[in-house]
Amino acid sequence: MSRPSPSPIYTLRGAGGPLNTLHFSCQGEGTPLLFSGSGKGAIHIWNLNSRRAEKIIEAHSGNSVIWVSTLQSADALISQGRDMQVCRWDVSEGRSELVESVWTGSVGFCQCSLLETSPANYLLACAGEQTEEIKIIELPSKTAVCTLVPEEKLGMVMCLKLWQPDSGSGPLLLAGYENGSLLLWDVTQRSKLSQVKAHPEPVMCMTFDTTSLRGVSGSSEKMLSSWRLDGQRNLQLQDCVTLVNPGVSQLCIRMDRKLLASAGWDHRIRVFGWKKLRPLAVLQYHTDMVLSVAFSDHRDPRQRVLAAGSKDQRISLWSVYNEGADTG
Amino acid sequence: MESLTTNTDVRLTVTRCFRTLKSSTDCSDIITALRTLHSYLDEGPESTATSPERAEFRRAHYSSALQLLVSNIQADWLHQLTAAQRTELWDGLFLAGPPEQALLVLMDAIGELRPTSNLDHVVNITEKFLQRRRLAELLWSYCREAAPSDSPQLRETLLGRISALPDITANKLQLNNRALFLPQQYYPLLATEMLTALERTCQALRAGTDCSLTFVAQTLGKVCIQGHSGSVLAVMAPRLSACTRSDMVWQRVCWKLLENVPQRWMESVLTGLVQAVSGPDALGRIIGNLVLTNKKAQFVITHKLLLLQYKYETRVLRIILGYLAADRDRRPLLIQVLRSVSQAWANSSAVKHTPLEQQLYVSKALLLSVSLLKDSEIQELRSELLQCMLGGMQTHLDSNVVRIRRMGMVIGEYLSSRMDINGTKLKFEYDQDEETRELLSLLAPGACDEPEAEPVNRADGPEETAETAESAQNASQTTSGAQALKTDPDSDLDSDDELTPYDMSGDQEISKASPPRYLRDCLEILISSEDPVRVELALQAAESLVRKNSFAAREISVQMSKVLLHMDDKYNINGFLYLRQATMVAVTVADCIPVTHYLTTEFYSLNYSLRQRLDILEVLALAAQELSKPVTEKKAASISSATTAESTPYPGDNPVHWRNVVEKRIQSKTKRLTKKAAQPVTKATPNRYAPVAGHFFFPLLKNYDKPQVTFDLLGSDHLVLGRLIHTLGLFMHLAVNAPIAAQMGCALLDFVWAVRYHADQMVRRGVLFAVCSVFLSMPSQNLLVDISDQLFETRSWLADVAEGDPDADCRSLAVQSLVLLDKSLKKQLQDPQAPTVET
Repeated sequence: MSRPSPSPIYTLRGAGGPLNTLHFSCQGEGTPLLFSGSGKGAIHIWNLNSRRAEKIIEAHSGNSVIWVSTLQSADALISQGRDMQVCRWDVSEGRSELVESVWTGSVGFCQCSLLETSPANYLLACAGEQTEEIKIIELPSKTAVCTLVPEEKLGMVMCLKLWQPDSGSGPLLLAGYENGSLLLWDVTQRSKLSQVKAHPEPVMCMTFDTTSLRGVSGSSEKMLSSWRLDGQRNLQLQDCVTLVNPGVSQLCIRMDRKLLASAGWDHRIRVFGWKKLRPLAVLQYHTDMVLSVAFSDHRDPRQRVLAAGSKDQRISLWSVYNEGADTG
Repeated sequence: MESLTTNTDVRLTVTRCFRTLKSSTDCSDIITALRTLHSYLDEGPESTATSPERAEFRRAHYSSALQLLVSNIQADWLHQLTAAQRTELWDGLFLAGPPEQALLVLMDAIGELRPTSNLDHVVNITEKFLQRRRLAELLWSYCREAAPSDSPQLRETLLGRISALPDITANKLQLNNRALFLPQQYYPLLATEMLTALERTCQALRAGTDCSLTFVAQTLGKVCIQGHSGSVLAVMAPRLSACTRSDMVWQRVCWKLLENVPQRWMESVLTGLVQAVSGPDALGRIIGNLVLTNKKAQFVITHKLLLLQYKYETRVLRIILGYLAADRDRRPLLIQVLRSVSQAWANSSAVKHTPLEQQLYVSKALLLSVSLLKDSEIQELRSELLQCMLGGMQTHLDSNVVRIRRMGMVIGEYLSSRMDINGTKLKFEYDQDEETRELLSLLAPGACDEPEAEPVNRADGPEETAETAESAQNASQTTSGAQALKTDPDSDLDSDDELTPYDMSGDQEISKASPPRYLRDCLEILISSEDPVRVELALQAAESLVRKNSFAAREISVQMSKVLLHMDDKYNINGFLYLRQATMVAVTVADCIPVTHYLTTEFYSLNYSLRQRLDILEVLALAAQELSKPVTEKKAASISSATTAESTPYPGDNPVHWRNVVEKRIQSKTKRLTKKAAQPVTKATPNRYAPVAGHFFFPLLKNYDKPQVTFDLLGSDHLVLGRLIHTLGLFMHLAVNAPIAAQMGCALLDFVWAVRYHADQMVRRGVLFAVCSVFLSMPSQNLLVDISDQLFETRSWLADVAEGDPDADCRSLAVQSLVLLDKSLKKQLQDPQAPTVET
């Protein structure tokens, strides 16, 4: 008999809006933090020890926050809102000051992607003004590095992933488009390296494992599609996983590359083994669409938790497959 | 002349010895006399007696000498001899002479002597007699003589003694019996002795001497008819099978042996043999074409074992049919067998009146024999097989018993596939169970092979088997090793396996529509909606809606039942039948009288399918069961709490609440001196079924004998009749302790009386169940007062069924009803307070 499905270890309430995005910051010496961006323009900084919101930043003038992230070097928080701005906040020593903001011009829901090239500089990939346009901006100098526009009509940019390959060449960018295509761009060459049609519907989300060069993408249908990058930097589709209910909002791989979590439109979080995409658990708690999932980046693997934010304004935290900590 | 003088010489000497033994007290005289007698038995070169003398002694004087010894067993001189002398002279005399005479004398002595040390002595000698393999000597001596020299009576007695030795010794010695005389040891020993005799016969035949196997065959037959065929043939069959494998002389000897078995014992030998041999080939080697030459054997093999008896394992069937199929000469018999088996299988009266086990047996025989036929033979038999298939399928599918129907389906599928009727095949949808799987496994081609590695000789068997076992082990080790090697890299790849999945059964599809919240909405959807999702949701919600809101349910109960009764599973809804039934039961429970009235009326009306009528019965039965169960505490509590929460939100108004509080306070202030048992007293609740039992029961008794165009209860629709009677029995059973039970019981007994000998066993089972429940539920005084005139007839009918019904369930139910009836009557008659028949 298999173990009964687990329950959340605790939940965080009071965000006051749908939780579009979650980001953990647990690696430092200080208190472990969880950042969340709500649909009402508030960024909550949750203290995971006291399990209370430590600070609430009202940002983007009430527009929905669709992405939050942190920089490793400083206590800097980056957020993206529907007001077409990407803002950098100084949150060190209890401050919450807006340092700078960049105008992206994108009206869509595409979350930006961040790549720190050096302790001081970082690249930001975001959807641009035009439908298919992707802009790469170097910060903090705010210089536009390039814009990437495919030759054919692919629809809006839906999701992005910017990373630096081990081979030493320039950074690569994966982009999912509205017609279900996935494109691999070489940022320095400004050229398309590979293209593949992963879904019949728009690519809603994707995640990429830069070590094994495998990725998985979700769409509005009942399918997760996995693909890999071969030695010639070609995207190759691999097997699919069928879900019970359609629609995936976000995907996330745990740091140890063992687990994949998906945020489902059917109110459920699904956990898969990352190697073979074997379904492992279906976590049921939320009463509305789950919009975001994130695995914490604790140094100690036993403390790593899974957080999920939902349209029902709650964040649930789960402890699954942590050796020792999780004695199901 | 010379022989005459020898004879007189011998007689004189022997008489002298006898006289000495009888009268002398001198030990040395006695010893001399005994030695003289011994000298006639000695065959060695230093023997003093000539061979004609010896033959004469053996023929005429040996038995009397032994008898004399036994009769003088108390004589003083016997006890004066030393133990060595006694063994040599006295015992040796029994073990050296012609074994048949010695055995007869010994057995007589055992029969006559009282239990004393003398008896022990004789028993010891008998034991030695057996241990020294004198029995083989005995059998061999009869094989050697081509023509019998002794009288038939003597032979008969000897046969009786040999085959009944364990009985004779056990009767006499009782608890002091020797282990060697026990049937478990004696008969295998006898079997080995017979084998030895046969072996020596083979050698003699090779040497060119004639032998007779009559006596051995008679012994074999006699032992088998006395019921020891299992232990004897378990030893003989493997050996014979091994010896006949390559040796023609052995085969001839075996065939001759079986030919010589007397007719009256042939059957038991053959039945024992087919169970003991390992495969059809072995049987063919041992008995040869006996079925063709011997009428009795033919009858047993082709008819009795297949059609009249059904206790044997499938293996036996396989062996018999395989044996018939193996030889060209026997092949016509197989076809004849197939004809008779297929007739038996298709016989409608057999399907109705023979036990299920026999039908299964016949079905197996049919399957096996068809599978052994070649395609050309099947083409010849086509018309007969087709007839059998069509008729048999009809009778089988018509049956009420699921197992019979399945049997029919399996065989129909197979026959149609073998006959190749214009390329079409029958295909049925039946659930595989153990029985159908067994039937299908009979058709597997490899299954008939017998194990070829038979040990040729027991003596060198173990080594060989040990070797083979070792090699087998090695093989399995290597294969398992290979498997391990194979699986290793596999498991290495699949590291997801270390993460055991959680239970994911809760991961169901989410539907967009919401279930109806009101009962009337639900009804509306069920009546008019064309949207599968909504209908499914409505059906899923219906039961809980009915149960939650009994007032609303009462308003629409009949309408709801009507809708549900006529509802079809248009959208292939998951668990449709269960959901519909549960809702109907809930409606019936909620509003009992109108709904039962409606359902019982509909049961007999026009234009319903059998399925719907069965549904009505099932719903009524389940509703009655639910009503008769006491309302559980938990449910009541939850209901009351729910009502308080909904209707009385203000706690001050709630009488239960403050009473609880007061109760608790009193409890806390009260000191108890004794400790009460902690178990809660079950609260008595009124039986909700008792007042309405009549509404369930009596309407169903009306109209049953009015056949309609679509529904003929007493005719072809016996399936429904069986279920109806069963349901009525259930109503009766649930009505125990209800005031109306007495009337119900009378009416039910009257009703089932007409169908008590129905041809269908399901109906009979239902009738017996109903009778059981009448005896269980009716108060015993009513039993005597109201139906006293029927009781006698019922009793004799039940006794008749218990003895003679072909169906095992029917028999056991009848016995049970008899027990219940007797118990009830006894209770009534022993109770002096109760009113008796006279009052």
